[in-house]
Amino acid sequence: MVIKLWYVFKLVWIERMAYRVNFLLEILSGIVSSLIIVFLWLAIFRSSSRSIIGGYSIEEMVTYLIGAGLINTFILTTAENPETSQSIREGTLSNLLIKPISPYVIWFARDLGTKVFLFFVGLIGYSVVIFFFSKYLLFPSNSINLVMFLISISLAGLLQFLIFEALSLLAFWVENTYGIRFTMRVIMEVVGGAIIPLSFFPFTIQNIFLMFPFHFFIYLPMKVYLGKIPLDQVFLEFLKEGGWIVAFALINVAIWRKGIRQYVAMGD
Amino acid sequence: MKVLKRYIRLFGFLIRISLMRQMDYRLNFIFMITGKIIRIGLLFLFFQAIFLNVSRIGQWSYNQVLLLFATFHLVDFIISITFQRNLAFHLPQRIQSGELDTRMILPVNLLFIASFEDIDLIDFFSFLPTVGFLGYVLYHLDFAFTWTQFLFYILLIANALVFLFAVVLIVATISFWTIQSYGLARIFDNLLRIGRYPLDIFEGVLRAMFIYILPLSLVAQIPAQALLNSLSPRFLVFSFTAANFFLILALKFWKLGLKNYSSAST
Repeated sequence: MVIKLWYVFKLVWIERMAYRVNFLLEILSGIVSSLIIVFLWLAIFRSSSRSIIGGYSIEEMVTYLIGAGLINTFILTTAENPETSQSIREGTLSNLLIKPISPYVIWFARDLGTKVFLFFVGLIGYSVVIFFFSKYLLFPSNSINLVMFLISISLAGLLQFLIFEALSLLAFWVENTYGIRFTMRVIMEVVGGAIIPLSFFPFTIQNIFLMFPFHFFIYLPMKVYLGKIPLDQVFLEFLKEGGWIVAFALINVAIWRKGIRQYVAMGD
Repeated sequence: MKVLKRYIRLFGFLIRISLMRQMDYRLNFIFMITGKIIRIGLLFLFFQAIFLNVSRIGQWSYNQVLLLFATFHLVDFIISITFQRNLAFHLPQRIQSGELDTRMILPVNLLFIASFEDIDLIDFFSFLPTVGFLGYVLYHLDFAFTWTQFLFYILLIANALVFLFAVVLIVATISFWTIQSYGLARIFDNLLRIGRYPLDIFEGVLRAMFIYILPLSLVAQIPAQALLNSLSPRFLVFSFTAANFFLILALKFWKLGLKNYSSAST
């Protein structure tokens, strides 16, 4: 099994490298948009006389935003992935079904492979940004925070896959799932805390946002990284996130079982 | 005059065909519109959240930033309904696949069909709430402006469209040589979003660049400033000149690109 997964992994990397120019440009465009937000916040701090805004110092804010951008390179980009929907709609799922490994496992491995790949390439891309803003950047105050941060982004990656996979699997019934996934992505970006820490929002709105599972993607990891959340609370958050993961895993299984029964592939 | 009429009728046809095609997936259509409206709503909340904590971004107050934001999205929606996707994404694809050939033999101007073939009605329906939002900003946020200022505002928005058409065309035309300019178009897409914020956010070289070299200030900031009566005549002249300069450059570049086009067919 592990060897099979390894091959899927390798394949993803080879594919990604084949279209490296476009793919690098894609990462670059992500960097551009996160830089714009960083400049915006630098200006906000400049024009305000306060050194702490909304509980964040300028260093914390810049670190938050660059970290958010980096997490976004592998979460937002893979959320766009149309593979599952496409193979159901176009019938290429049939090819996967006859393989000695479940299509679901293949999709999962491909998603994981892409995320790891994007994370490293993103890291390379962001090193330029990190260099430029190095005087603002903060490191976790202790190694526990760093470990918790890494666990947090791993869980985030898993949860993000499960949520978007559930939507993609709707392709068994709906002809085009792009719209649903697009809407979810739009919500995910702001509600997840990619452009602003959620604590900036008015209390009511914050509470609404926290009802979505998206704050686990960026807001929580960055709070953990910056040490803005006590350790015992981190465990509680992880527990909640685990609940979401289990729930979505079950939803995925249910949809997959129901969907595959009525899957029809048209031949030429 | 007759030619103009013909093109207007043709434009009408293109809208109808696009509507038919996009309504094919009705549920998707509705979700896309919802998603785009939610995005504007969330961005609005984003600005509110900022201004809960500070009173200004650079020289810009809350009301002024909202005006800038609404203006930017008005312009952004107009270009995405019309030429943006056609030029930035479809044209490079058609150059790559050689499909451009079938457009070349049509008895219409190639640039016209390349720019307006797919009219994005999803964006049109999400555009309407943006216009409503702009109306709200203008009415309720006590901006005092004269009709002359308003006229300049409209003219400068038109000018912004000319400028963006030119820049998008330049980026798209690059694909005559590179075959692929999709990634570049995407970067420009992101770069364009700078126009949503006051350019005060930049300092030094970057600021000068976005005012003079790649004047993204033309997109929303300058129209908004004209309405707020804080635009100097010097910048007014500069805006119209710059947009025209980019347009002439883009058209020259387009012609050069076409000369270089070698149909890639199977």
